[in-house]
Amino acid sequence: MNKITAEHLNFYYGTHLALSDISVEIPERQITALIGPSGCGKSTFLRCLNRMNDTIRGTRVEGHVRLDGQDLYAPETDVVELRRRVGMVFQRPNPFPQSVFDNVAFGPRVLGLDRQPGQSLGAIVEQSLRGAVLWDEVKDNLKQDALGLSLGQQQRLCIARTIATKPEVILMDEPCSALDPIATLEVEELMHALRESYTIVIVTHNMQQAARVSDWTGFFWLGKLVEFGATQDIFTAPRNKQTEDYITGRAG
Amino acid sequence: MRRPLVNRHTQQRIGFALLALAALIVVIPIILVVLVIIARGIGAINWEFLTQAPREGMKAGGIFPAIVGTLLLMAGTALAAIPVGIGGAIYLSEYARDSWLTRAIRLAIINLAGIPSVVYGLFGLGMFVLFLRLGTSIIAGSLTLAIMTIPIIISSTEEALRAVPTEFRTVNASLGGTRWQGIRNIVLPQSLPGIITGVILGLLRAAGETAPILFTVAAFFLPRLPSSLFDQTMALPYHLYVISTQVPGMPEKVQYGTALVLLALVLSLNIVATIVRSYFRRRRQW
Repeated sequence: MNKITAEHLNFYYGTHLALSDISVEIPERQITALIGPSGCGKSTFLRCLNRMNDTIRGTRVEGHVRLDGQDLYAPETDVVELRRRVGMVFQRPNPFPQSVFDNVAFGPRVLGLDRQPGQSLGAIVEQSLRGAVLWDEVKDNLKQDALGLSLGQQQRLCIARTIATKPEVILMDEPCSALDPIATLEVEELMHALRESYTIVIVTHNMQQAARVSDWTGFFWLGKLVEFGATQDIFTAPRNKQTEDYITGRAG
Repeated sequence: MRRPLVNRHTQQRIGFALLALAALIVVIPIILVVLVIIARGIGAINWEFLTQAPREGMKAGGIFPAIVGTLLLMAGTALAAIPVGIGGAIYLSEYARDSWLTRAIRLAIINLAGIPSVVYGLFGLGMFVLFLRLGTSIIAGSLTLAIMTIPIIISSTEEALRAVPTEFRTVNASLGGTRWQGIRNIVLPQSLPGIITGVILGLLRAAGETAPILFTVAAFFLPRLPSSLFDQTMALPYHLYVISTQVPGMPEKVQYGTALVLLALVLSLNIVATIVRSYFRRRRQW
């Protein structure tokens, strides 16, 4: 079952073609890794999936991206609702300079989720922190400043903040690049747990990470999706010479 | 190789000494101004001076109506300038796209800050006193001072808003927040100390100005308190000007006492602004 499909997607920064003719199907409740050298378009592609590129002026999209068959770039698409369904975790842990509780409660508050019947903010926050395997570390003091947490905890807090809006897809843009190996491992374990409930797309520079965590891997090169397939196949028997050179460290 | 006259460590010491001297030269006049005004004015300060109207051709009594007038004008200015200034800054820095219009507005704001205050006074006379028929009144004076203060508030607010990392706005968007929700929940709270500081500094400038209130509100001598917004009022800067230049035989003590009250008002608010800023800066972690 595919959650997201891109069809002949072109993306321009001004006149520069950053993504060219990307077609891919991203399966539901699996982890899909996007790899490739810097500037190859993998982050740009990731940001096409929740229309975060909209905030950058002078960008243009051609082709289609569908979420459950619905075209994200159709005029009737509600971008705010789209971003609730497709959450995002960023490269650097970026909690708001507020308490742990307020960070997790931010999304539910702006979306009014806490005002829905049978929902309490406290319950949503606890559930999300448990979901991000952070609850036991912070439950005694939810009022503490989020910036006082370790970087690894901050990144898991950001994941909790994202899942608090009850998304279906989580996009991760190099979520471990600012973390030490132990914190990285914690986030990777968390990803495995999240895989049960969410479709995850992760951009990573770390090929071992892609091999460890993902079910599917796509290799980007100069704005093109060179190869896409089961992670096992990509890393053991790539069909494409460029892919092979990149993952074996001969290029890129 | 030619040996320099003094070695490089001595050069450095001389350089530092000159730079320190430059810094000292900046501070000395400020300290002197404050000391001279305190020394010559403190003798005039007593309960009567602060709470009574002037008597005997302003040579005796107090300056209460001028103090009240200045506070009223500051309140009126704040009421008119703060919403417009902050609102305009939010629009310019958070919503407006870069176009010839916003560039023209920014240019106008920069230039407005450089206009001599007497020009604002004449504008206020033409616009508020005469054209809008507000008369010489607190409301006309406040609006004139507000026009002068708004550019200061806009530029300091814009600066405070821009200092908030873009990342917070991006995260807000990624969580499904609208742009306004991001501004209200994250950007404004984070930039509030900077905004407050800018607002106070803007209002202080308004409090000390004489020229803008000269034609729009200030009364030469009005020993009673104003009874409505359409009344004239005395005000500290103008009163100081009057008793320093227009009344022969004015005791020096009264002049310096009035200056001291104005200075104390301005400095105390300035200190508040500094405290607010440094308190929040210490807490800020981004």
